[in-house]
Amino acid sequence: MTSLRTEGLSKSFGGVLAVDGATVELREGKINGLIGPNGSGKTTFFNLITGMIRPDAGRVLYRDRDITRHSPHRIAHAGIGRTFQLCRVFPRMTVLENMLVAVRRTRLRELLAGLRDKGEVERARHWLRRMGIEHLEDAEARDLSYGQQKLLELAAVLMAEPELVLLDEPAGGVNPALIDRIVSLVRDLNAEGRTFLVVEHNMDMVMGMCDHVIVFDRGAPIAEGPPSAVRDDPKVLEAYLGV
Amino acid sequence: MRIASRGLPPLVAGLAIAYPFLVPNYYLVYAGALTVMYAAMATSWNLLGGFTGYVSLGHSAFFGLGAYGTGLLVTRMDVPWVVALLVSALLVTVFAVGVGIAAVRVRGASFVIVSIALVSMMNLIVQGWRSLTGGSTGLQVPSPFPDLHRGETHMVFFYLFLALLALALASWWYVSRSRFGAGLRAIREDEDKAESLGVPTGAYKVTAFALSALFVALAGGLYALWFGSLDPIFVFSILIASSMVLMSLLGGVRHLFGPLLGALIVAPAGEYFLIALGETQIHLTATGLVLVLVVLFMPDGILARFSRRRAGPSIPDETAEQRLQGVAP
Amino acid sequence: MNLLLQGLALGVLTGGLYALLASGLSLYFGVMRVVMVAHPAFLFLAAYLTYTVHTTLGLDPFLALPLTVPLFFALGVAVQRLLIARLAPENMAMMSVLLTFGIALTIEGLLGTFYTGSYKSVSMEYATRSLTIGGVHLPYDKIIAFWVAAITLLVLFAVLIKSRFGQSLRATIQHREAARLVGIQTERVAGYGFGVGLATAAVGGTVLALITPFFPASHWVWIGKLMAIIVVGGLGSVVGAALAAVLLGVVEGLVLVTVDATWATIMFYVFLFLTLLARPQGFFGGRLAHRF
Repeated sequence: MTSLRTEGLSKSFGGVLAVDGATVELREGKINGLIGPNGSGKTTFFNLITGMIRPDAGRVLYRDRDITRHSPHRIAHAGIGRTFQLCRVFPRMTVLENMLVAVRRTRLRELLAGLRDKGEVERARHWLRRMGIEHLEDAEARDLSYGQQKLLELAAVLMAEPELVLLDEPAGGVNPALIDRIVSLVRDLNAEGRTFLVVEHNMDMVMGMCDHVIVFDRGAPIAEGPPSAVRDDPKVLEAYLGV
Repeated sequence: MRIASRGLPPLVAGLAIAYPFLVPNYYLVYAGALTVMYAAMATSWNLLGGFTGYVSLGHSAFFGLGAYGTGLLVTRMDVPWVVALLVSALLVTVFAVGVGIAAVRVRGASFVIVSIALVSMMNLIVQGWRSLTGGSTGLQVPSPFPDLHRGETHMVFFYLFLALLALALASWWYVSRSRFGAGLRAIREDEDKAESLGVPTGAYKVTAFALSALFVALAGGLYALWFGSLDPIFVFSILIASSMVLMSLLGGVRHLFGPLLGALIVAPAGEYFLIALGETQIHLTATGLVLVLVVLFMPDGILARFSRRRAGPSIPDETAEQRLQGVAP
Repeated sequence: MNLLLQGLALGVLTGGLYALLASGLSLYFGVMRVVMVAHPAFLFLAAYLTYTVHTTLGLDPFLALPLTVPLFFALGVAVQRLLIARLAPENMAMMSVLLTFGIALTIEGLLGTFYTGSYKSVSMEYATRSLTIGGVHLPYDKIIAFWVAAITLLVLFAVLIKSRFGQSLRATIQHREAARLVGIQTERVAGYGFGVGLATAAVGGTVLALITPFFPASHWVWIGKLMAIIVVGGLGSVVGAALAAVLLGVVEGLVLVTVDATWATIMFYVFLFLTLLARPQGFFGGRLAHRF
């Protein structure tokens, strides 16, 4: 079954095509990798899928529903969650408050519910425990280390119960021990049925973790397949080496 | 220490209720009512400014519209004053929803510009629409309590404004504990991120904007009934809006009682200036300089200095790593 | 028809002046992402200084410029270096508005204290007549205002495009980090940018003094008008602001002659709101704008 499909997605900034007719299909229940040289349009592609920017042309379909030009919160409600390249948390809110921001659907009763709504706090603690940062729940997010903030960001995204999770450079700026931890977390979450799309520069991580790798160059996919096949594809080498 | 700070709010509330009977003359009752009015307005302003970080310099538009709405309903349509007050506040809230939908599309500085434009525009319209509002000569509103003498009227309005303040504080407190409040604070911190977590930021901001306008409009309506005479240049002045901002910032926008504390400092100081220096313009300079100093040196306000110290940027990474090892995969 | 022509001609003339008055705002926003609410207050400070020079020394108002322009340049540098540069970058947009708002109140209070709240005006004999071309009356004061504004703007553009300082300034506006990397001292450039912005306020103030009576609270009306112009033009775009200024000047002129003064002013806000609803980044540029 198809999780997400884009058809001819395009976006240009001031005449420069950042994403150029990208047609991509993600299979449900897989860990998909998205790689490509700097400036190949990976982050713009993320922003297009999640509605942060609007495409000039093309469509985005999630589980066969057209979500093109939906506002980001509606896309989140549809079941797509994302992290950001440079990890973004709410710095002057506590860890627990960060966790309780996520909204799964807009319901008045839920919104007026206390911040310390028991069920929600339990769910938040569950995710913090899985990230190993439950002891920090009363700390302000800005006081956390970068690695802890990355885990918090992921935990907060999971609070919205997304079925498709987009990770933008999860290994960027974190130490090797934590990378291993993140890889095993992603594997576990995938085993529980979540689909992933991971943008990453750390090739070991991508090749070791992903079931399916898509290679972007100049705003569109140039190759895809299992990691081993992609690694040996001459077009990929060419894109990276710029021959 | 903790018990002392717990006991403080009821103590202050008790003092506030007894205040009109503790002071020696009606002038001080009047000054007290004015201070409580400003406290209520600053607290209402903080429903938007404190949570979302959207600084509005245009809230006097809602004050003025609330005042004129109430005044016009009473004088032109003979509506009982309570009904006039509520209907007018409701209409202003509906209007604020409309304005909010346009205004909160822009962030930061553009939003401030829009809010300034709003109050200038309302001022122009009310002054220009002479047949309805009386234009720049103003509008006379009959007192709702014709049997009371002036001092007693001050007393009644002191308690009415106190009730409004209580209502505004309760709303702020309630929102601060709700998921809705968490969403609003997330907007202040990082709006795009909040949106990506499923927070409908537009709807949240408009709601906060309208709620904040509602209480300011109620204050405006009470003001109209209290003073009995409306001058468009005063009620739609940007100075009233900047007072709300200054009070909130000075006290601390992140704290329930911040705007109240700011109002307790700024409003009596303003009255004192008026007595000491007469009707000069130098009070504008004083307000301006205090605002500059607060923005430069104390943007988090007075209460931030006394609130719980945070853990400090020193949570060691190792503990997290060690704990990571301990968590079964 | 003649009425419309009259409105159109007046609109173009005042639009030129608006372009000058708004150019400073675009500069501040460009270099520091700051919306300088105090700009109109400085305009009227300059108007009052012109008034003083004119009434005490009996000089032509334009002879005040050699005094006010350097003074305002220095003030601008001081405001940027001593006040705005101290603000924490993460909440710059909001805090700078409040800061400059405080400055505006301070200036208004001082003007009210020294000059009282009553109207003042500077009238020169040569400015009171008007030129009549084909039934359209063009007051000389408006014509003078237009040409002073046009010449000042031309000088400003020449400085921005030709001079080394102008290049550094534009580089700083376009990409601060990159400008710093190629060796531009962006802090100093930003200070001078503010200086130049306030220097335009000195010229604008003198012109305002000549064409309109003023009192200390006059600046509020102008905050709204000038903000509308720079939003419609696209925040941070000097050229966009100039185009929007002429556009809004013409709209104002036409509404002024066909309806009344209140609606003419309200048109500024109507355009402001419409712009924000339709195209928040402005119509003539301002790719920077939507975030600020």
